[in-house]
Amino acid sequence: MEFNKRTYLILLLLVALWCGGIVLAPSLSTTLPGVSSFLYSFYSPICHQIDVRSFHLFGEKIGVCSRCSSIYFGFLLSLALYPFFQKLQAPAFPQRHWIALAVLPMLIDVFMNFTGIHESTLLTRAITGLLFGIILPFYLIPPLLEGIAQLRDQHIARGGFFYARKTQ
Amino acid sequence: MLEKPNKFRIALISGAVIGVVAAIPGLSLINCCCCAGVWLGGVLAMYLYKQQFTEGMPPLESSDALMLGLMAGVIGAFVATCINVLILVAFGPVEAELVKSMIGKVLDRLSEQGSMPSDMVETLKEQIEQSIKDAGRASNIFGGLFITLIVYPIFAILGALLGYAIFRPKTPPQTTQA
Repeated sequence: MEFNKRTYLILLLLVALWCGGIVLAPSLSTTLPGVSSFLYSFYSPICHQIDVRSFHLFGEKIGVCSRCSSIYFGFLLSLALYPFFQKLQAPAFPQRHWIALAVLPMLIDVFMNFTGIHESTLLTRAITGLLFGIILPFYLIPPLLEGIAQLRDQHIARGGFFYARKTQ
Repeated sequence: MLEKPNKFRIALISGAVIGVVAAIPGLSLINCCCCAGVWLGGVLAMYLYKQQFTEGMPPLESSDALMLGLMAGVIGAFVATCINVLILVAFGPVEAELVKSMIGKVLDRLSEQGSMPSDMVETLKEQIEQSIKDAGRASNIFGGLFITLIVYPIFAILGALLGYAIFRPKTPPQTTQA
């Protein structure tokens, strides 16, 4: 399997695990409360986890709020579909302005809520988060695949682990 | 050919920014939105690193973003924990109190509107109160450091990669494929 494809699959697995943890936190609250508690603690530095601002599963809030979960699940969805839009061997960098356009609705939603012009709802948070999450992989995957390949090349040049495997 | 600029100094600066943003009560709330503070720290690291490049140096590469993000995230996690401990020792659990007052207001409003039963509001308030009591425990501090040592590097790397995608040279260097 090509190196970039393997890197992509590992990344997809890690993102799926990350998103899986978010829904596992409420799912395990009755059967494995210790694991559930750890998962909530794990996600606590990155999200406020306010109950009323979160989606619920089995009557419990999920690991992160609606905006964060929309970003992560949008990211996972877009990452899963990424090979249909871009070649993994040589992924192209998109134009810079698309990221600004993707983040703008979320910033407007946050700003309007903060100033009291319009109170953000689960729906507005979910839609704006999803949009940002879907766009993100198109900016992150090309440098990530390229960067990991470069690190591997540098490692091979130094006669590291990959070099040893290649020559076996 | 000249060598690339030193990453450690830039990682220290951006790591310190990540740590300060994550630890200062109130300011740390920015991390409530998918670790936005850590993302911005990663972008800042990439911006500062790009400024160090002069003619004759090898071009900026994606692998620089990966390493820089990783270093900034790890440093940020340690800086945040150190500042948190200092604040805890000097002023007590200020941040937890701030969050308590903010969430308390939301809960009271929901209770008044009838959107949430009052007994649930009380339970949530008790849980917040308990978390304030637990804030100073060594296990909580080390547990927090353990989690941030995983989470901050991930988001700082993502920030640095995003920074690379934004500030990258016009013609990115080609990589060899396996």
